[in-house]
Amino acid sequence: MSAVQAIPRISLLWLLVAQVLVIIPHLAHLPLWIVALWLVCAGWRVQIYRMRAQYPATWLKSGLTVGIVGGVYLSRGSLIGLDAGVVLLIAAFILKLVEMRSRRDALVLILLGFFAVVTVYLFDDRLTTVAFTLLPVTGLLAALIGLQQSPLQQSPWQPLRLAASLLAQALPLMLLLFLFFPRFGPLWSLPMPDQRGVTGLSDSMAPNDIAELSRSDALAFRASFEGAPPPRNQQYWRALTFDKFEGRRWSQSSEVRWTSAPSWTPAGEPIRYRIIMEASSKPWLFGIDLATTELERTRLMSDFRLERREPVDQKLVYRVTSWPQALREPTMVKPAIRRVLQLPADGNPRSRAWAQQLKDQYPDPQALVQAVLQHFNREPYFYTLRPPPVGENSIDDFLFDTRRGFCEHYAGATAFVLRAAGVPARVVTGYQGGELNVSGNYIQVRQFDAHAWVEYWREGTGWTSVDPTFQVAPQRIEQGLEQALAGEQSFLENSPLSLLRYRHIGWLNDLRMSWENLNYGWERWVLGYQQGTQLEVLQKWFGRLDSGDFVLALVGGGGAVLLLVALWLFKPWRRERDVHQRLYLRFERLLARHGVQRQPGEGARAFAQRAELALPAQLGHIRAFADAFEAQRYGGAPSAPDHLQCHLRALRRALPIRLLRRD
Amino acid sequence: MAVFKQRWQRWLQRRIPPATSVLLTQRRIFIIPTRIGAAFSLALLLMLMAGINYQNSPAYGLTFLLAAVFVIAILHTYRNLAGLTLHAAGGSPVFVGEQATLRVRLSSNGRAHQSVALGWPPQDLQHFDVPANGLAECELIVPARKRGWLRPGRLRVESRFPLGILVTWSLVDLDQAVLVYPRPLAGDMPVAAGTREDDEDQGARVLGQGADDYQGLKTYQPGDSKRRLHWKAYSRGHGLLVKDFAALAGRDLWLDFSELQGDSEMRLSVLCHWVLSLSERQQPFALRLPGLVLGPDNGQTHREACLRALALYGQENVR
Repeated sequence: MSAVQAIPRISLLWLLVAQVLVIIPHLAHLPLWIVALWLVCAGWRVQIYRMRAQYPATWLKSGLTVGIVGGVYLSRGSLIGLDAGVVLLIAAFILKLVEMRSRRDALVLILLGFFAVVTVYLFDDRLTTVAFTLLPVTGLLAALIGLQQSPLQQSPWQPLRLAASLLAQALPLMLLLFLFFPRFGPLWSLPMPDQRGVTGLSDSMAPNDIAELSRSDALAFRASFEGAPPPRNQQYWRALTFDKFEGRRWSQSSEVRWTSAPSWTPAGEPIRYRIIMEASSKPWLFGIDLATTELERTRLMSDFRLERREPVDQKLVYRVTSWPQALREPTMVKPAIRRVLQLPADGNPRSRAWAQQLKDQYPDPQALVQAVLQHFNREPYFYTLRPPPVGENSIDDFLFDTRRGFCEHYAGATAFVLRAAGVPARVVTGYQGGELNVSGNYIQVRQFDAHAWVEYWREGTGWTSVDPTFQVAPQRIEQGLEQALAGEQSFLENSPLSLLRYRHIGWLNDLRMSWENLNYGWERWVLGYQQGTQLEVLQKWFGRLDSGDFVLALVGGGGAVLLLVALWLFKPWRRERDVHQRLYLRFERLLARHGVQRQPGEGARAFAQRAELALPAQLGHIRAFADAFEAQRYGGAPSAPDHLQCHLRALRRALPIRLLRRD
Repeated sequence: MAVFKQRWQRWLQRRIPPATSVLLTQRRIFIIPTRIGAAFSLALLLMLMAGINYQNSPAYGLTFLLAAVFVIAILHTYRNLAGLTLHAAGGSPVFVGEQATLRVRLSSNGRAHQSVALGWPPQDLQHFDVPANGLAECELIVPARKRGWLRPGRLRVESRFPLGILVTWSLVDLDQAVLVYPRPLAGDMPVAAGTREDDEDQGARVLGQGADDYQGLKTYQPGDSKRRLHWKAYSRGHGLLVKDFAALAGRDLWLDFSELQGDSEMRLSVLCHWVLSLSERQQPFALRLPGLVLGPDNGQTHREACLRALALYGQENVR
């Protein structure tokens, strides 16, 4: 090949287009200067193509490289890790554009581009994003095709069309591979995308924390039930518990953090469901009490929360079996009881006094709890997303002065009063309710469904959950946050574009529901198509499968698909048009075997005459075929291949059998 | 190694016998991945690793999509060559040291074929596009290094279109050959004038057409030199006449191989030079090579016969 093969114009054009398309879905997690870098590099490259600029000198290239590595370090704080790695990859992808001289360089750029598309998926695997990335993939393929074209080709659309049709033809084979290619667990662990920006429950709770979270309509998880979902007022999704109170903030004591599940006894009917959890960057999972799962590296902890050994940095699918009527921890050791009775030494004197008064009045803990709940119901308490600020004695301020609060205020105050009255209690946070998608039979739980409630302990009956918020705003539990806040108009007030605000508009809501169904299907069947799901799905369709069946399916199915595409591409039935020519070739080969070779340039008639002389015994048959061929092909006689075939067969029968070919 | 090469050649000879026109069919087309294809596969492997380690379905999906494109590209790459017919379209003789041009006609019986490369490795291949149901006339250049028949061997037809990750090729023998004349080399004229017995004869024996002596006028016939047209007669309305010259037999030029010194290639080169220059001057001459005498005569046919004899002197497969 010649020294340096220039890059054809069309290929360069598609490469530039594809590069923009590759970078667009990355923009959410790239520093902005990358865009400026791209603009400079693309402009430079175009000028090089127009011979108005030079390729960068070596010193400039090294300078740019050092500058960019420095820039990545400054904006990401590190050069290792996925985030910095992707920025470096994109920067290399952009810089290579300017440096690209030969077709080989262009090829490197195209392959880098494909890899950059894969890194998009690590950050964002929504259906829309993945569908969008088909555009850069098509563009990169078009650039690859452009590299192979001769420079005389002018139409930039032709390679694009070809690229699109290649992709379309590859689709069936891709689906086959996707279904049957065996899925493994990770081979080694790699840095995960940074999820620091993710909103969600945190590992401590102060007044207003959950109210803050309720402003977000981001998805927390979806749950799909095998049978009918439990009624809404029983959908309490536990995430974690707080047993340590420090005057204002509830958090977890270190003992609870490390010890695993105490005794519990299943009772009643279990509920089975599957949860598709969004990345939360926290290790705890969600489930209705009492939740058990067979997910690997996941334990039921001492406060009956599910916790995985590593944080959930990616979407996670797991199955849960819940025992709502289970008896939880009927006996507890002294130190553990002390832990759930712990209170700061001082502060909130009015609440403590009230607790003491309740304790005297109701010696039975259950009656005492009912009394506290009754209090919230009877007195003028209000459920609001805009609670007034509380001071140093936050519980006192809330209980006796402001009387306006969100769930964390009610839960925190209840747990405090119960403890002060000598009833072991703790705060539970998680989500409550969710939106049922009827056609999909699954529940979508969003951040604004975040909730806090209380559970108290009694010797013998174990833990019992109670929800003080229900006493104040039963709509919150039975219908949802939007209905509970109807009077206040504060539901999602900071996100006017959220479709969830317009649930009352029928058609819009239907549209939203269908879209969410589609996304749910995508997450469950495509994103969730890993080890477990693959086996489950394939066994449902094909019965039991072993590894041999996978190979068979891949090879056999692949061959069949390829054959279909080949048939479609080559259309062998079209070749029937030249049936005469084919029959004549057979005639020629037959005679050649008997020593009469057609000479180059010898006409059909001349050849037949020569053959008649060489094989006088078969004269009649040869002449019959030759005449019929001539008449049909050149003489304008109606085409009758059967007729020709008949003559050919007669001739073959008339000729003596020759086993040996004469070459 | 040599054994394998020979076997390969024999196998090729059976598989794709020499012919002036070859239709590329599946029996005659081979296909393998290129180095680009290997790089592409490596990239796919990396993408698959990302898919496995991040348990990321879209990454799996894209990897499988591109892997499927690779497989589908086999069909497309093959299709870009299949159904193409190559016809030998001749070539003109050249002198040693020049570039011989061999013409090949590509014809499509259906779809368009893009960027089909032709040539004789290790030389660079030349790329041609063939329009749908159309023709492409290709002029392929081969350096002429030796006199005699230049047979460039099996022509490599290859195509990497559309993705470059696969190369499909065929080696066809279009039975093409170009005659290569010796390189002309100026030198003393290897002359033996006349025949020895006629030494006494001073007369001007007329011996057909020549350039030496004016003989009169004759009517023009196609093929006569235009320089000898008698324009004055034409202007007088006598029609096209040419001045007829006769060559003097006594001064016939005999270019004689044995009169020259040096090795035979050099002698042939000198003879070639004189054949060219005498023909240029329209002077009749005869060429005497060991075992072969041509002429005396002049004209285009004689010139070509002489050059051909020089080109093929001493070679076995004279055709």
